[in-house]
Amino acid sequence: MLYFVGQIFPYIAAAVFLVGMIWRVWTWLNVPVPFGLTLSPAPRTLTGKAAAFGRELALFRSLWSGDRGLWLAAWLMHVSLFMVIGGHIVGISTLGNEFTAIGLTSEQSQRVSGIMAVASGLLLFFTLTVLLYRRTAIPEVKRLSDPADYFDLMLILAVVVSGLHMRLTSIEVDIAAVRAYMGGILSFQPVPIPNEWIFISHFFLVNLLLLYFPFSKLVHLAGSMVNQAMLIASPPVYPSSMKVDSSRVQSNVQIWRGGSQQ
Amino acid sequence: MKPPMHVAKENEVASIGLPRVPKQDEQTAVLKKLDDLRSSMRSLMVMLENCTKCGNCAKQCHSYLGTEDYHNFPAARADLMRRIYKRYFTWTGRTFGRFFGADDFDADTLSKWLTYFYQCNECRRCAKFCPFGIDTAEVTIAARHILSEIGIMPKFMQGIAVNMNKTGNNMGIPQPAIVDCAEFMEDEMREETGLDIKIPIDKPNSDILYIPSSADFFTNVDTMIGAAKLFHYLGVNWTIPSTVLEAANFGLLFNLNVMREHNQRLKAAATAVGAKLVIQGECGHGWRAAKAYTDGCSAPVSFEIVHILDYCDQHLGKLPLKKLPLRATLHDPCNYARAGEIVEQPRRIMRACVENFVEMTPNRDENFCCGGGSGILMDEMMEIRMKLGKKKAEQVIALGKLDYLAMPCSICKAQIPVVMKYYGVDDLMMGGVMDLVGKAMILGEA
Ligand code: HEM
Ligand code: SF4
Ligand code: SF4
Repeated sequence: MLYFVGQIFPYIAAAVFLVGMIWRVWTWLNVPVPFGLTLSPAPRTLTGKAAAFGRELALFRSLWSGDRGLWLAAWLMHVSLFMVIGGHIVGISTLGNEFTAIGLTSEQSQRVSGIMAVASGLLLFFTLTVLLYRRTAIPEVKRLSDPADYFDLMLILAVVVSGLHMRLTSIEVDIAAVRAYMGGILSFQPVPIPNEWIFISHFFLVNLLLLYFPFSKLVHLAGSMVNQAMLIASPPVYPSSMKVDSSRVQSNVQIWRGGSQQ
Repeated sequence: MKPPMHVAKENEVASIGLPRVPKQDEQTAVLKKLDDLRSSMRSLMVMLENCTKCGNCAKQCHSYLGTEDYHNFPAARADLMRRIYKRYFTWTGRTFGRFFGADDFDADTLSKWLTYFYQCNECRRCAKFCPFGIDTAEVTIAARHILSEIGIMPKFMQGIAVNMNKTGNNMGIPQPAIVDCAEFMEDEMREETGLDIKIPIDKPNSDILYIPSSADFFTNVDTMIGAAKLFHYLGVNWTIPSTVLEAANFGLLFNLNVMREHNQRLKAAATAVGAKLVIQGECGHGWRAAKAYTDGCSAPVSFEIVHILDYCDQHLGKLPLKKLPLRATLHDPCNYARAGEIVEQPRRIMRACVENFVEMTPNRDENFCCGGGSGILMDEMMEIRMKLGKKKAEQVIALGKLDYLAMPCSICKAQIPVVMKYYGVDDLMMGGVMDLVGKAMILGEA
């Protein structure tokens, strides 16, 4: 069992995540855009487009101009999420020594690293809870929500809680052992998983999340980009000499005859 | 559930080439059409698969704000299709059903679609405020297309299709009547200015093809007169094609194939007179259809397409305008502001034509729809239309005493006056922006 969870399941989850995401994005990009749907005012220059794209993806501009409360919760949730993900990569690979690069001693660095990990973890926990509460508190949103919408939030919460548990209780998980284990996984020479049940649950839940990701609304990670790209495309210019590739549309959407009497 | 509009009868839909699919085959036919559309319209697929159900769009939709009907909340509206889509076209929906928000196609599905997709004005305001830019109008367009393909549509749309087939305009005006109307307007202008200002119909070898809204020949003649005076003053060689007397493209509002066909008709008309420039008159979705859809429908085209307000704005400096003593505001038609980049042009024109121009809030690309958009001007839906127009009325009333409300779109011109009256404003002049140009322009000896 531990062998499966520690040495096989991670590969299944990662493979499903990668292949699944590529497949989802592929199915979208594979479909033509017969009619442009530029949402004006649309930026014309490449820098303008990049800026518009960035404002949406990094700052959630549309939420900002809509609902500031939701914006705050959602934005902080995503920021802390990316801090947590980044923190894992940097923190585990350097064993918490990442801040020696800016002149701290190893000990100071580990302390700062630990504080940041707990802070972003707590922020993530808190904002997820707010979003979960919001989902039940606003009548329209509650009615709109499917079980999966709650499940997504709760699955991420479970990951966060199990992660924080290792930081905030006396259970000590040896980061060096985790690094050795992760190194094994990444170099395709898996070693047994550190036998600490709380770490095992945390790691297992993360794998579940990865496995689930491409099938859930969490694909908005990629979908937001595909969608925004359509909205900021430049509108067509006339006279036009280039024929848009609408061959597929024409075969799918037949033109019915009729028209003027002439 | 009974849809709030008159639904076209079987013989009527058959007469426009969209026969009604028998009841027992509806589900199969709808799913087939949905499958076709999702594999030919990326927007539909991405928009149906990426809503996180955050609810931000609720407060941005005048349709939901006005009717307070849950299914008019953009994400809930799109969900009417999304639930079916998930159930039949996604693995998770097929396997886990409700858990992922998938629902079976049932006896109520299509009447719900007909009811609620015809209470969406395709205004795209929700897209502006959705963090992913999910544009419920795309879902609405797709839903209406699918419904019409199986022969389900409002009588109103069917009637327009009949008129368009017969005459090329949605009011069904035949060519001789068009010429009569043009002569009538020419007489009016002669009386007013003493000049011989022409409205040439079907004049061969014209450089400019002007596509007005057919309503400009009856109810909104001042808009037509404004455009005619502009062309006269600039001394250009222009004409109006009697075959496309309609900037509107109602196909966009109920069937994409009809849309394509109307769009190709525009190309044919421009080619016939050898026009290098097509100018679209004051019609909101017509402008969107011409600007954004010509590429996908009729490319390649050898002419330029501009909007009359853009054209007028380009020549604004030369025009002999006097400022009219009016306090005026502008309603931004959704398709100009969010789908057509006609935003600053009408403002510059209005500032040149009136003494006091004021903005309503919100404005430009965040403006609220008039509630008549996407051609839901059915009389039998009056009550709903008034609810959809509530937000607009509030915006206008908040400005206090006004003399003129400009709304450069024929659908707005049909909807807003009724809305304003309903909400107790009946001493307000309303009309297009070209109307103002026509009135402010000093022509002849006068
Ligand atoms: C570039 C990447 C991403 C962008 C631009 C993005 C953007 C958004 C936005 C705008 C929302 C709507 C606001 C809300 O409902 O809270 C949202 C919701 C959500 N996102 Fe993301 N996201 C990204 C990546 C991720 C990732 C990687 C995850 C999870 C692992 C995630 C998890 C969620 C969840 C669970 C919700 C729903 C929150 C709720 O139920 O209210 N997002 N995202
Ligand atoms: S397009 Fe306009 S009317 Fe339709 S759902 Fe969006 S905001 Fe509402
Ligand atoms: S704002 Fe966009 S993501 Fe949020 S509920 Fe509406 S359509 Fe869905």
